[in-house]
Amino acid sequence: MESFNSLIIKTRTSVFFGYLSSICLVILATLLCELLSFFFLPVNLLMIYLLTVLFTALKLGFEPAIAAVSLSGFVYNYLYVSPRFDFNFLDKEYIATYFGLFVTGAVISSLVTKVAERAEALRIREAETSCLYSLSRKLAVSGNTESILQSVVSNVEESIKSPIALFLAQNDQLGIAAVSSQLALDQEEVDIANWSYQQNSTAGYGTESFNKGKLIFFPLRTVSRTLGVLVIEFDERLVFTYDQLYRLAEAFAAQTAMALERVNLSTLAEQAHILQSRQNLERALLNSVSHDLRSPLSTITGVLSSILDSGENLNEQVRKELLENAKDEAARLNRFVGNLLDLTRLEAGSTVLKMEPCDVQDLIGCSLAAIDRKLKGRDVNVMLAENLPMVPMDLVLMNQVIINLLDNAIKYSPILSAIQISAHCTSDNLVLRVVDAGAGVPEYELKKIFEKFYRIPEPESVKGTGLGLSICNGIVEAHSGKIRAENLKDGGFAVTIEIPLFGAVMEKETINVT
Amino acid sequence: MSLESRGIVSTRVLVVDDEPAIQKFLRSVLVAEGFTLNVTDNGKSALSAAVLFKPDIILLDLGLPDIDGVEVIKRIREWSAVPIIVLSVREQEGDKVKALDAGADDYLTKPFGMAELLARVRVALRRFVQASDPVFRSLDLEVDLARRRVTVKGEEVQLTPTEYELLRFMVTHAGKVITHNQILMQLWGVAYVDQRQVLRVNISNLRQKIEEDASRPRYIATEPGVGYRFCSLS
Repeated sequence: MESFNSLIIKTRTSVFFGYLSSICLVILATLLCELLSFFFLPVNLLMIYLLTVLFTALKLGFEPAIAAVSLSGFVYNYLYVSPRFDFNFLDKEYIATYFGLFVTGAVISSLVTKVAERAEALRIREAETSCLYSLSRKLAVSGNTESILQSVVSNVEESIKSPIALFLAQNDQLGIAAVSSQLALDQEEVDIANWSYQQNSTAGYGTESFNKGKLIFFPLRTVSRTLGVLVIEFDERLVFTYDQLYRLAEAFAAQTAMALERVNLSTLAEQAHILQSRQNLERALLNSVSHDLRSPLSTITGVLSSILDSGENLNEQVRKELLENAKDEAARLNRFVGNLLDLTRLEAGSTVLKMEPCDVQDLIGCSLAAIDRKLKGRDVNVMLAENLPMVPMDLVLMNQVIINLLDNAIKYSPILSAIQISAHCTSDNLVLRVVDAGAGVPEYELKKIFEKFYRIPEPESVKGTGLGLSICNGIVEAHSGKIRAENLKDGGFAVTIEIPLFGAVMEKETINVT
Repeated sequence: MSLESRGIVSTRVLVVDDEPAIQKFLRSVLVAEGFTLNVTDNGKSALSAAVLFKPDIILLDLGLPDIDGVEVIKRIREWSAVPIIVLSVREQEGDKVKALDAGADDYLTKPFGMAELLARVRVALRRFVQASDPVFRSLDLEVDLARRRVTVKGEEVQLTPTEYELLRFMVTHAGKVITHNQILMQLWGVAYVDQRQVLRVNISNLRQKIEEDASRPRYIATEPGVGYRFCSLS
């Protein structure tokens, strides 16, 4: 970006200096003419004066150029129109020459100064634009209020060289949010900022209200409301005219307001999203609790009341069936409550992992033992790689993971189909895999199954809580591990877990205390 | 069949639980089994009942309103070796270990079934009527404690001295849960209490030698987060 220091604006050059310089230039031109008068006819010396006028117009502006052309005419008459060293305004030749010189000089001056002004205006415009552009670029990447305020302050300080302060409103109370170090605001100025905020109108230097000080106050307006006030100091010694500064600062205020509004809106949107997902979750929780707690309770209540009311009329076989049913439902209720507690604890972060090097075979063994009754004689193929190391993990929690995976495998695969558990190590991870012969999960739902209360729609007969896999996910994540599900090409469904070895691996052989 | 059929005096059970529904359930079931019952709902009265009622076994809930259950166990253990079975919920692994290390004999996770409760009570009481038979048998496994000989399906198994000591300690406490600390203290002494991986490796090796399928052990069951239990099967 072109620095504004280089923008020496013509209007800043004093008028007096302009005229003085033009006189000096004419004197210089005359000295040159005196030297050249030995070689050239006086008529040709006019060109020297015209060049001087052109130069004056280019560098000093229109009025000094007109002064220069007038003066040149008189000097030319005095020196080169005979008699020398005397005025002769009646010479016809001279009148024509003077008229020609003046018109040419005036036209050239006017054209040249117009071009110069336009170029100057373009330069200013371009500098302003690039100034705003650099601000908007910085603002676009600012994700929060603090970084926006910081960008604005640093940008203004850098490009305009003016001290700046930003007020932001919170609950209709205006407070200083960011301020340049060289700017100290007194109470009166804070009051003006408040007024500007309340009235939603510009105030300060050069405006209609509170125009005594050097500060200008711009409200940060958005379509719907005012967010705060931008305060900037005007200093005549600086490169900008008041109008330019005003225009720039106004644009800065608009940009700042927009950026702040954008951040506000995105925060709101995020909150709305969080709220929405929390509501969804709560709805799912309520549905799940009402369904998963009530349905076993109604079975148990039904069984108990039927036995209480008409137990004598039921034959032994029916009674036993009813009671077994009630017992299973009670167990299911217990599992659900356990799952719910596990999940709540995991999410609340109150689960502290007890990491200890564990025997993977032992892990699988206890999981199988815990779920033995449900397996009902199914084949479980355990495939362990040779020389598996001791892997650091929380055995109780990982046990829960394997139990949940096996439980799913049992529920979602054909009765009596085999289940496979395998374990091996890569250089960094322990890889555990549970494979069943079930129909799997539609591809687009593979990720969802780790979400809370998610249940695949089919088969409906399966009684689940939709919590098992999300608990697995929570526990594996707590171990800094990964869990993923996939449908296998030739049928079946696999869940794979990776648990980092953390290097703290002990070969079984190295420990053998006897 | 009640446990009382052989004895003249019925077994005295002290139940300490502050939940009326559980009290009621235990009372009806245990009385039906022929036990003599004393039920209290707090730690202080449990301590005095342990003296006055002279129970043969105590069923103790860990979450008592006044004194911590583990504290109750410690105070009783100061003067009595009466079997204590802790009743707890699943989520209290840490408390279970504390209770067992404080001297409790076993634990039951709520909710539990009747058969489970009676089995644990039997195992806990058996300590007092230990058979003098030096040969321990469970399914295909035979441990001859007198001759330090272990056979599986009649074939002798070669164990290291540590493995044998481990197995001996476990079979003499068959049916009961044993914590890591208890085993480490017994086999290696106080200095090894933190060396659980040593224990895990030995358990793993022992399983390879005596279990048919070490991935689905029948004898040495792991109680996750607590310890091990040797399952006595017939």
